Amino acid sequence: MNRWLMVLFSLMTTTVFAHTDSDSHANLGDRATELKEAGESKNIHPDLTEIRIMHPDFMMHKRDKTLRQGVRTKRNSLKACVNCHSSTDKNDEYIPINQQGQFCSTCHQKVGTSLDCFSCHRSTPKEDL
Amino acid sequence: MNKRQTAVQMDKNLNRREFIKTTAATTAGVATIASGITLTTYANVASENPVTNEKRWGMLIDTNKLTETDIDDMIDACQEEQGWGSEILSTGDQKSGWIKKIKVKDTATDRISNLALMCQHCEEPPCVDVCPTNASMKREDGIVLVDKHLCIGCRYCMMACPYDARSFVHEELTDQREHMPRGKGTVESCTMCVHKVDKGEQPACVEAVDSDAVIFGDLYDSNSKINQTLKKIQSAQIRADLNLNTAVRYSGI
Repeated sequence: MNRWLMVLFSLMTTTVFAHTDSDSHANLGDRATELKEAGESKNIHPDLTEIRIMHPDFMMHKRDKTLRQGVRTKRNSLKACVNCHSSTDKNDEYIPINQQGQFCSTCHQKVGTSLDCFSCHRSTPKEDL
Repeated sequence: MNKRQTAVQMDKNLNRREFIKTTAATTAGVATIASGITLTTYANVASENPVTNEKRWGMLIDTNKLTETDIDDMIDACQEEQGWGSEILSTGDQKSGWIKKIKVKDTATDRISNLALMCQHCEEPPCVDVCPTNASMKREDGIVLVDKHLCIGCRYCMMACPYDARSFVHEELTDQREHMPRGKGTVESCTMCVHKVDKGEQPACVEAVDSDAVIFGDLYDSNSKINQTLKKIQSAQIRADLNLNTAVRYSGI
């Protein structure tokens, strides 16, 4: 009986640790890290769990709003996602957000789902025209 | 809000409703302060509201004023704005062509006119009729677009279009323009620079022409330049016999 209690206890502690750890991300992106450190991330994504679970649905909804109804606010824009969550390399150049180790691919690889946004969409912030 | 209120008070001839209507329509409101200083407010903030069918965007191209170099400038501007034309692997007919220079010759008189031909943004678009996935669509304000999220690349729309306005992307692309996603396996065409129009700007090809050979505006608005010009001068739709009611009109052909 004592052994089972020990197992249960250790399981519980790992879950708790997993939850405290889940607030961080392997590679949040340059601007997003700045915003997080400034404590502003709550204004952008009030509920982290919600955005993590629901972001495909949000994007699906908002792409229709943007393309079909012409609503081009920051809140409805994939550009705004990419702008904050992209990282730069040593030469100060942006790395595509879907490349290995970058914001999108870290989770997507872990859970084994592919993403097809960036075969059409630009994967780095704004170009120099 | 304060600026708006002052502006309304300044111009007593304009009632509140009219004023908001005009500022919203042009997205740039100019108010003259008593001392003669002009106060300009640009509404660069994107609108939260969906587009409506109270507007219909259109273009009038005067082929008498439009020179061949003008057409080349329009094509260059379009390529620069939307990022097409630098496909390496595509050859011949595979190459994208959102806007094309074509010559029309009257066989009776041998008169040649040069046209800039792009998507005509029909009111009854055949491309929308044939699309099996609803990817080919017309916005409420009359702009015909491809929803590449839904496009399966069947190219029915390319066959249905009487103007040969659509192209198919045959190769993988990177470094697309931020506002213009393009990708292998989808159809694309002139968007009437919808991303600029939504900000209250003019399409890139219209901006590229110095003269007033190309006019862009709201076809329904009786105060717009395009509406007034269309009332005055003779203009034509290409293949008017198809009853598509195009938004791009030509004069001088």
